[in-house]
Amino acid sequence: MDSSKNDSNAAPRIHARPTTESAAASSAAPELATLLTHEDVDRARDRWQVARARRKGRGAQKFRGVRLLWLLIGPGVLVFLGENDAPSMLSYSADGARYGVGFFIPFVVLTFLMGFIVQEMTVRLGAVTHRGHAELIFDRFGKFWGFFAMGDLVLGNFLTLVTEFIGVRAGLGFFGIRPTIAIGGALVIVAGAITTGRYWTWERITMGLAIFNGLFIPAAILARPNWHAVGHALVTWMPLPGGNRSEILLLILATIGATVTPWMLFFQQSAVVDKGMQPRDINAGRLDTMLGVLLASAFAIAAILATAPLFHHGINAADFQAAQFAEALQPLIGHTGAALFALGIFEAGIVAAIAISTSSAYAFGEVLQTGHSLNRPLRDAWPFYLVLLGSACAAAALVLIPQFPLEFVVLTVNVIAVLAMPPALAFLLLLVNDREVMGEYVNGTWANVAGIGVTLLLIFAGIGFGIATVFPKWLGG
Amino acid sequence: MKSDYSEPRASRTDIRPVVADDGQPHLEDPSVVLSLLEADQVVAAKQHMRFGRQRLSRGVRAMLWGLRVYVVVMLIIVLVSVLRAVHAVH
Repeated sequence: MDSSKNDSNAAPRIHARPTTESAAASSAAPELATLLTHEDVDRARDRWQVARARRKGRGAQKFRGVRLLWLLIGPGVLVFLGENDAPSMLSYSADGARYGVGFFIPFVVLTFLMGFIVQEMTVRLGAVTHRGHAELIFDRFGKFWGFFAMGDLVLGNFLTLVTEFIGVRAGLGFFGIRPTIAIGGALVIVAGAITTGRYWTWERITMGLAIFNGLFIPAAILARPNWHAVGHALVTWMPLPGGNRSEILLLILATIGATVTPWMLFFQQSAVVDKGMQPRDINAGRLDTMLGVLLASAFAIAAILATAPLFHHGINAADFQAAQFAEALQPLIGHTGAALFALGIFEAGIVAAIAISTSSAYAFGEVLQTGHSLNRPLRDAWPFYLVLLGSACAAAALVLIPQFPLEFVVLTVNVIAVLAMPPALAFLLLLVNDREVMGEYVNGTWANVAGIGVTLLLIFAGIGFGIATVFPKWLGG
Repeated sequence: MKSDYSEPRASRTDIRPVVADDGQPHLEDPSVVLSLLEADQVVAAKQHMRFGRQRLSRGVRAMLWGLRVYVVVMLIIVLVSVLRAVHAVH
């Protein structure tokens, strides 16, 4: 039964209203001044940098916009490069290897535009409310619906984390590195990124790692793509994929799942809050998100182009995993190209492991109302860091178990992400249309049309997949 | 028509933080920290100010239940299809 009528938390609650009032000007300022935390001070330091960049005059004037953007980018770039993770890059690679240059290139661009539409809403939600996504869902819809949303997130995140470590293992396996060393090294990197106790430092380290997602671009160039065919595909969406329709639908679903997933909503909103973004930063947040879309879609298309030679040479890539893609590519694009591809898969796994485990930790902290900020030192927010590292360690351990059905996880993870997305989008759309939460920043008509359109598209794609699976003859599969 | 991407209104109170001689803010001073953050951005304020429950209409609850049923049915289909695929591989 829906428990929404009698569900309440014990903590005293004063109804919050969206405000842009400075804390110093609020009536509670004297009381708040005695309750400031390390997290508040670190966030204030970041805000001071932004305020200074906004005010700076003289010679620095012409670089002010660049400096401001540099300070405010992060969550958008990270969420999209994080989503270009190991299973996503493998999905794009499968698109290229099985269908070559054609339909999937513009389709990937479309999925990233869908991603922008929904992620932009999380930027506004975070900047206006200063609350994470899980926290808002629990506050506004109660524990009953909140735990459903968390269930989807936890299942999806954990399975995805497992696939990230599969990517790490397979990527480094190409160079002959033993699985235990590869996985152990990856865990050290995840742990190293959070030891700083500072959101800003964590964000810059992770962005530094994420930019290596661009390794797929030289790999694609080494594959010598036919640029005329690429341009033709982008304009005409042709040639369309042929063959088993059920299989095509599965790949379409996996490709959508490679771009729009529930963890992205939770992560970006929480990161926007942790970064301390305010309503006046929303436009910068949109630019950050668009930059993430541009970079991630370019790298995704590069993965398709890098593996397209497998299609042209008639090599069956139906059951390929990361290392097999790299090994099969070696005679076609050379050792350097194959090595870049393998390194790209490793990088994709590492960055996503950091981002996804952080997304889980943010959500747990918000729901349990314990400290949930990367600006907090370890001793102040140990449950937050424990969830972050614990989920990564558990996923990593599974990958090292002999006979563990890794292919089962890889096959399901992107599809599950797509299927869990419509309820997540419903909560997002309800929140972002809630005037009590958003004030003047509620969705406009076109944002709602786009958001509902994306939700319906995902639902229909899921239903199409269901029909193709249960009644394959209906689609001629 | 209201633009979806309108320029947000700037902070109503643009209080400038006290800056030390070396150009760094005096973050040991709580008033400086508060001048840089919005009222509901301070951790202590967030812990006491919560957004209350939204009253869900029948239509919204029906939609949420419908989506929940959709997820469960689809997960069963995925499970069946993957088991088939794994079985076929082996």
